[in-house]
Amino acid sequence: MKKYLSIFKISFAQEFAYRVNFIMWRVRNVLQILLVFFLWSTVFTNPQTELFGYNREKILTYVFGIFILRAIVLSSRAVDIAGEIARGDLTNYLLKPLNYIKYWFTRDISSKALNLSFATIEITILYFFLRPTFFIQTNPLQILLFLTSVLFAIVMFFGLLVLVNFITFWLPEGGWASQFLVIVIFTEFLSGAVFPIDILPEAIQNVLYALPFPYLMFFPLQVYLGKLSMAVMLQGLFISGLWMIVLIIAMNRMWAGGVKKYSAVGR
Amino acid sequence: MKKFTYYLKVWWMMSKNAFLAMLNHRVGVVVFTTGKVLRFAFFGAFLYFLLSKTNTLAGYTLHQTLFFFLTFNLIDVIAQFLFREAYRFRPLIVSGSFDLILVKPINALFRSLMGGADILDLFLIPPLVFAVYYVGSLLDPSASQVFLYIVLVANGLVIATAFHIAVLSLGIITLEIDHTIMIYRDLTNLGRLPIDIYGQPLKGILTYLVPVGVMITLPAKAMMGLVTPVGVTVSFALGFLMIILTLRFWKLALRQYTSASS
Amino acid sequence: MLYSGKMDKAIIVDHLIKNFEVTEKKQGIMGAFSSLFSPKKKTVKALREISFSIKPGELVGFIGPNGAGKTTTLKVLSGLLYPTSGFTQVLGFDPWERNPKFLKDISLVMGQKNQLWWDLPAIETFELNRAIYEIPQKIYKESLNELVDMLDVKKILNTQVRRLSLGQRMRLELVAALLHKPKMLFLDEPTIGLDVVAQAKMRDFIYDYNKRCGATILLTSHNMDDVINLAKRVIVIDKGKILFDGDLRELVSRYAKDKIIKVYLSKEYDVKQLEKIGKVKKIDFPQAVLVVPRATAAAAAAELLHHFPVADLTIEEEPVDEIIRKVFSGEVKVSKKK
Repeated sequence: MKKYLSIFKISFAQEFAYRVNFIMWRVRNVLQILLVFFLWSTVFTNPQTELFGYNREKILTYVFGIFILRAIVLSSRAVDIAGEIARGDLTNYLLKPLNYIKYWFTRDISSKALNLSFATIEITILYFFLRPTFFIQTNPLQILLFLTSVLFAIVMFFGLLVLVNFITFWLPEGGWASQFLVIVIFTEFLSGAVFPIDILPEAIQNVLYALPFPYLMFFPLQVYLGKLSMAVMLQGLFISGLWMIVLIIAMNRMWAGGVKKYSAVGR
Repeated sequence: MKKFTYYLKVWWMMSKNAFLAMLNHRVGVVVFTTGKVLRFAFFGAFLYFLLSKTNTLAGYTLHQTLFFFLTFNLIDVIAQFLFREAYRFRPLIVSGSFDLILVKPINALFRSLMGGADILDLFLIPPLVFAVYYVGSLLDPSASQVFLYIVLVANGLVIATAFHIAVLSLGIITLEIDHTIMIYRDLTNLGRLPIDIYGQPLKGILTYLVPVGVMITLPAKAMMGLVTPVGVTVSFALGFLMIILTLRFWKLALRQYTSASS
Repeated sequence: MLYSGKMDKAIIVDHLIKNFEVTEKKQGIMGAFSSLFSPKKKTVKALREISFSIKPGELVGFIGPNGAGKTTTLKVLSGLLYPTSGFTQVLGFDPWERNPKFLKDISLVMGQKNQLWWDLPAIETFELNRAIYEIPQKIYKESLNELVDMLDVKKILNTQVRRLSLGQRMRLELVAALLHKPKMLFLDEPTIGLDVVAQAKMRDFIYDYNKRCGATILLTSHNMDDVINLAKRVIVIDKGKILFDGDLRELVSRYAKDKIIKVYLSKEYDVKQLEKIGKVKKIDFPQAVLVVPRATAAAAAAELLHHFPVADLTIEEEPVDEIIRKVFSGEVKVSKKK
C-alpha cells in the first residue's frame, strides 16, 4: 500500500514537471466546454423552454457536470501504456515487485486528483463569467447512487483504456490506433460529453444503453439530475456493474496473455 | 512563374514521399481517417436531431446550421490537407533536424508548412464539397452569393494559413507546438456552430482577435445573404493583415532560433 | 558582393558574438509555479568576439571541449543562427540572409541529425534534393555515381533508411549532403557514434573529397583522430574564445613542453635512480618511459647512456592527442595568439 502511495506522489509531481503540457490540457478543456455551454444556453434562451426533459437549469448543470466528470472519469495517464509496450519499456516494470495494473491505476487516480483540483478552480472562474443557474440535488439517496455510478465509471473507463492499450502486445501499432478510436471518438460522443444521449431517437438510445459508454458520464449525471426512476437507476447500475466486472476480467486475461507474448518476442 | 513550377514540383515530390512513408503505417492511417469521418457523422447527426426538435438555433434553420457546420469542415479539411506538415514540426525542432531544412535553398516556411500534403484528407474533400453544394443549394442562393461564398472561403483559408504560420513561429520560440496547434484546433472548433451563439466577450474575441468568425461563419453567412459590403471588405483586410503580421512573426522567430544543441 | 570564384577568402569572421537567452528552471513544485509566472532569464555567451578567416580549399579542424562554441560557430556560418553582433561572410555572402545561391553552395552534415526520410529508401531523399537544389539530371547522375562509389553504398540505396545501421545511414547522409557539389562543407561531429572501422572510412572519404573536389571543409570533432588525420590547420576554441589558430604541428611544438625518452635496459635497475633524471611514466622491464622537459632532454639522454645499462634509447615527441587533452584539462595554459 505504501508503495502505491509513493507512486501517487511521484506521479503527481511528474505532471508538474510537464506543467506547460498540463496547463495547455486544462485550457483545452475549458475551450471545449465553451461550445457546449453556449450551444445549450442558446437553445434554452427562453427560461420557460423544456426540451428532451431538461429545463435551462438542468441542461446547464449537465454541461458543468460533464466538465467535472471529465476531470474525474476521463483524466488518465494509462494512455502511455501502449507506448511503453511498443518501445519495450515495460521490461523495467516486469523486473520490479510491482503490479503493473495497480501501478497505472494509482497514477490515474493521481492524475484525476490534480485535474479535479484544477477543474474546481476553473469552474469557479467560469461561474463568475457565465452566471449559470444550477440544479442542486438534495436527496441523499440520489447523491449516494450518483457517487456509486461515478465510482463504477472510473473503474470502467480504466478497464476500457487498459484493454485498448494492451492490444499493442499483439499489434504494435494497433494500440495507439484503437485508443484513438475508442477513447477519443466513441467515448467523446457516446458518453454524453458533447450532447446528452437522450436527444437521440429512442431506438439508438436503447442500443447505446447496452454499451459501457453512456455509463461513463451521461448516466451518472441523469442520476444526479433526478431524471430517472428508481427502477431505471438500479438497472443502469446493474449494467455498468456488469460491464465493470467483464472489463476487469478481460483486462487481467489480456495482461497474462500479453506478457507471455511480450517475453516470447523478447523486446 | 519559374519559381512557381519549382515549388510545385518540390511540393509534389514531398507529398509523394509523405504518401509512400504513410504506407508503412496503414493501420493507424485507416483508423485515423475512420475516426475523423465518425466524428463528423456524430456531430452532424447531433445537430440534425437537435434541430429537428427545436427548429432553429440562434435564428438559423436546420439547413443553415448544417451549412455552417459543413463550411467549418471544408475549411478545416483543406487546411489539414495542405498543412499536415505543421503537425510534424515539433520533432523537427526538438531533434534539431530543422537545421537541415534551414540550410536548404528552399523557403523554410514553405517546407515546414506544406512539405507533405495528406493524401487521405484529399479523399475527404470531394464528398465534403458535394455536401456543401447540396445543402447550399437548399438555401437557394443567388449567383453573387455563391461567388461571395467562394472568395470568402478562400479568405478563410488565408486566415487558416496565417494561424499555422503563427503556430510554427511559436513552436520555434517555445518548443511547445503540439499544444499550440491543438489549441488552434480547439478554437476553430468553436466555429462548428455560427459564432452568434457565443456571449460577449467570447464573441468579440472570435470575431476580431482570433477571427474564427471571419474564417468560417462569415463565408456561410454570405451564402445566406447575411453580410454587408463593409463586413466583406473588413474580412479581406483582416486576412491580408494577418498574413503580413504572421510572416513578420516567422522572421522574428527565426532570429530567436537557438537550434537544439548537440 | 557576389561570389566570383576567385576569392581569396572562403570565410571571414570578425569579432563575432553570439548570446543565447535561456530560462532557468527552478526546483520543486513551488519553483515550477514561480518560474511559470516570472521566468528567470539568463544570458549565455556562446561566442565572445571570435575572428578568423579561411582560404578556399582549406580543411580546418575546430577543436574544443563540450559547450566551447564549436557547433555554434558552425551554425552561424551556415546561416542557422542569427549573430548577436560581428561580421561574418561565407563565399561572399552574409550567411544569415540565406540567399538560395549561397545555400546551393554549402552543405551541413551533423552526426546526430538526419535529413533522410526515415520510412523511405535513401534514393527518394536524393531525388527530392535534386529537385530542391535544381541539379541538372546529367550532373546529378555523375555526382550520385561518384559518391556511391566512393562511399560504397550501392547495395543500400533502395533499403528503407530505418533498417540501416548508423554507419550505413551516415554514409547515405553524406551522399545526400554532397549531391549538389557544395563548395563549402560544414561537418559537425561526423564520426560520432560510429565504430572504429566506420570512423576510418568516413575520414578517408572526407580527406579524399577535399583533395578531389577542392571543397573548403570546416570540421568539428571530439575525436582527436579526426583532427590529427584530417586537418593541417586547427582552431582551438574554449568558452567562446579562440585559444589557438594555426598549424597543428605548431600547436604541438608550442605546447609540447616535454619530450619522451624510451629506454631499454639490459638489466634490472633501481627505479629510484631513474626518477632522479625525469618523471617515470611507465616501467615495464626492460622498457622504461620517462618524461623530461624539452630543454633538458639531450642532457638527460646523455646521463642515461652514461650511468645506466642502456641497450637502446629513443627520444620522442609527446603524442598530439595527449597535448590537446592537456590543453583542454588546463594542465597547459594556452595564451591567446598575438
